[in-house]
Amino acid sequence: MTPKDAVAISAKRAATTVLSLSIDGESVAFTAGESVYQVARRAGRSVPTLCFDDRLDAFGACRLCVVEVEGQRNPVASCTTRAEPGMVVRTKTVAIEKHRKTLLEMVASENPKGVHIDPLRGLASQELGTLALRYGVDGKRFEGAQSGHSRLDDTNPMILRDYDQCISCYRCVRVCAEQEGDYAISIANRGFHTQITTEFAGKLEDSSCTFCGQCVQTCPTGALADRRAIQHDKLPGPIAKTRSICPYCGVGCSVDIMTKGDKIVGVQPAMDGPANEGALCVKGQFSWEWSQHPDRLRQPLVRKDGKLVAVSWDEALDRAAEGFRAAKEKHGRHSIYAIASGRAPHESAYSVQKFIRAGFMSNHVDNCSRA
Amino acid sequence: MQSPSDAQLIERWRHEPAPLLGLLHAFHDRDNYLSESVIRQVAEALRIPIADLFGTVTFYHHFSRVPGGKLLPRVCDGPICKLHGCERLMGQLGAASMPCAGRCDEPIPVLRGDELLVGTRARDLVLRPSPLPPPNPGGLEECCFAHIREKGRATLAGYRKSGGYAALERTLRELDPTKLLDIVDRSGLAGRGGAGFPTARKWRAVAAAEGNPKTIVCNADEGEPGCFKDRALMDHDPHALIEGMLLAGFATGAERGFIYLRYEYPDTQVILERALREARAANLSGPKVLGSSFSFELYVRRGAGAYICGEETSLLNSLEGKHPFPRNRPPYPVTHGFEDKPTAVNNVETLVSVPPIVARGPEWYAGLGRNGHKGTKIISLSGDVQRPGNYEVPLGFPLQTLLFDWAGGPRPDRTFQAVTMAGLSGGFLAGDDLEVTLDEPCLRSKKSFLGAGGVMVFDDSRDMVEVARQAMAFFAHESCGKCFPCRIGTQRLVERLSLEAGPRDLAAWQDEVHDIGQTMMATSACGLGTAAPAITESLLRYFPDLVRSRLEGAKR
Repeated sequence: MTPKDAVAISAKRAATTVLSLSIDGESVAFTAGESVYQVARRAGRSVPTLCFDDRLDAFGACRLCVVEVEGQRNPVASCTTRAEPGMVVRTKTVAIEKHRKTLLEMVASENPKGVHIDPLRGLASQELGTLALRYGVDGKRFEGAQSGHSRLDDTNPMILRDYDQCISCYRCVRVCAEQEGDYAISIANRGFHTQITTEFAGKLEDSSCTFCGQCVQTCPTGALADRRAIQHDKLPGPIAKTRSICPYCGVGCSVDIMTKGDKIVGVQPAMDGPANEGALCVKGQFSWEWSQHPDRLRQPLVRKDGKLVAVSWDEALDRAAEGFRAAKEKHGRHSIYAIASGRAPHESAYSVQKFIRAGFMSNHVDNCSRA
Repeated sequence: MQSPSDAQLIERWRHEPAPLLGLLHAFHDRDNYLSESVIRQVAEALRIPIADLFGTVTFYHHFSRVPGGKLLPRVCDGPICKLHGCERLMGQLGAASMPCAGRCDEPIPVLRGDELLVGTRARDLVLRPSPLPPPNPGGLEECCFAHIREKGRATLAGYRKSGGYAALERTLRELDPTKLLDIVDRSGLAGRGGAGFPTARKWRAVAAAEGNPKTIVCNADEGEPGCFKDRALMDHDPHALIEGMLLAGFATGAERGFIYLRYEYPDTQVILERALREARAANLSGPKVLGSSFSFELYVRRGAGAYICGEETSLLNSLEGKHPFPRNRPPYPVTHGFEDKPTAVNNVETLVSVPPIVARGPEWYAGLGRNGHKGTKIISLSGDVQRPGNYEVPLGFPLQTLLFDWAGGPRPDRTFQAVTMAGLSGGFLAGDDLEVTLDEPCLRSKKSFLGAGGVMVFDDSRDMVEVARQAMAFFAHESCGKCFPCRIGTQRLVERLSLEAGPRDLAAWQDEVHDIGQTMMATSACGLGTAAPAITESLLRYFPDLVRSRLEGAKR
């Protein structure tokens, strides 16, 4: 029986009986296949974790999500423990909270620069700092050697590899493999000497990295940081986020545009974006600076006496319409051919074909993906 | 002879089961290192992402990535070899270190290429077969060692002379898997690698699990410092292991078996492969064993230096060519083991015990133990005793009788200060707690355990804080790096034992060390992290004054 079969069978059983377990004395129903962590979170328990990302297979590395399960000698990692009917789970006993605090003190001790870092670094970058505040951990206990070593020699313009802040949760490695299928980064060495690496410990540009930035956005400490965004870390003011759609292609990935005042300072993927569920590609993630580029076209231009001159929209549109009409009259309706952008959404593509078909009585319309 | 080309090596291995380690070793043996070009080719041939394979290669201690690196001598710096001056020898040879290489009964082992030499000075190094267990000192009946000292026992003819393969023949002739499982069950045999899980229960679970092919994996990655029993069994009685694996295959319905052998036993690999060829030629393994309907193929795979690969799920990942982190359990290997199929992972000693159990009956085996404990256990005894070596004792046997009557007591003018249990994993026993019997209930009551049966002895001339530091340094070196408490905790404990970091005040020191230890024991993902703090906890229990004076010395 494969695990899938097991899930299927349990699911079938679940259709007829309601499964439930006890969490801190409260009976909670669950679906077969759910982990104890998922059930606890759904029941409103804020079980801490640093190695968990909803999109990835549960890994069980940070051990912060340990809970007590009656009948088990040791606490279990709730993320890798499947919920079973009748389980009696305690998520926040004194002993468990003490272990969590000790674990966080251990983690903080390997981040000599501190755990509180600029939120522009990445979407998940505040996770460690937030937990440190919640548990009153300042990183002063358990002093000792530092594990990760920054790769400041990797001067690619997009991803800062500041592994001094790395806590070896391997979310970056796992998102690269499980979500992106790029397998650009991996784990070198063992134990405290573990480093995040690429093939032959090289630079990202020489690896199979596509610079999608997923590793940056899942990093819970900011050890991987968005180099485009952190250029603006000194800019004063709070960061505002505006939900939008990535303008680059027709997929429609949801993004949060980050601004300070009237300046765009970065883009982060929206985990709840229906089209992307947190994914982005290199363009959506890192290529947002053009909107603020000094060379950007800001008003319509028309050529007059061989020179481009700024004009009003009305004048520009009249000039374009005139050009179309002249071409049609001189060369016939088939002289006009429209190519819609593959980045354009459905509505725009519809308008283009309507414009050509109804406007010029022609079927000469295509899409740039094929043209 | 011309050395094989890259393409020939790849062709030789790419269709083998569990090919990665074998293929990497083939290149490592040919070139004496793993070049970038080789890693790229292996990655392509076995369809492993290059970054993944690069990372996995760096995980293993013995794979070298610099030209000629394989030939650089490696000197054991395990706890016992430290007592015998391994640092001096390392200096004489210009050698690198390697963790305990399992020759504690005859220090110091030096690995030079595929030669395993022993000696305490560079000019005295010799190549010789590993020691046999000492002659049966107590005259008590043995199971695993009953015939091991017979001349020629490692050959098929020698093994057969004293009844070898009779158990297999009888099984194929008279028994079905259910009856064989019943025999193993009644013997009370439990895992001798340390976990003590009942063997019959494991095998029944594999037999009952859905999915084929099923696999037997022999865990011969004897990496625990101070443990060298499996080496003795495989070097001097390899057919006993083969017969044990065949019986395991018959009981579970498995059709293939792997012996996962640690890198540090190159001689053993030669011995095992020769024995496998003999067995196969005699139709004792392979298709339709001895004309029956039972078929079973056996393979040897050599590890590359990683203690964690003795943890069964890490071993399985290593065998499959994955990064050797331990897996999350459940599911357990009995249902989702090698290549996600039902798998029994058994220790060498466990498997070697099975043929005598079948031949002489479960009641005989169970009756070898004392005080209600069933069977025997091999103890690898080393360190400051007159006669170190492997001793097979009844479970429940008094440690003092082993130490004084069998092994000759301490060195002249010395007294025993402490012993370790389970190699290093059981921490120290000292003082009145040396009056234990060798069985799990008794040792657990002292917050220790028998484990794989390594007992290292330290007399009153030894600095126990330093011994503890070295022990923790081993665990830190071998921590895989997956779970936080072990990865960070072992490092922080080493720093505190060496006084490189941490408080100098005893109360604060104890507080930190104890907090780290408790959290490691409660939350680590596998046995390495849960066991390592036994070192610091038992040091504080038995030798608080030594810790105090060390800290006070450092303040001045």
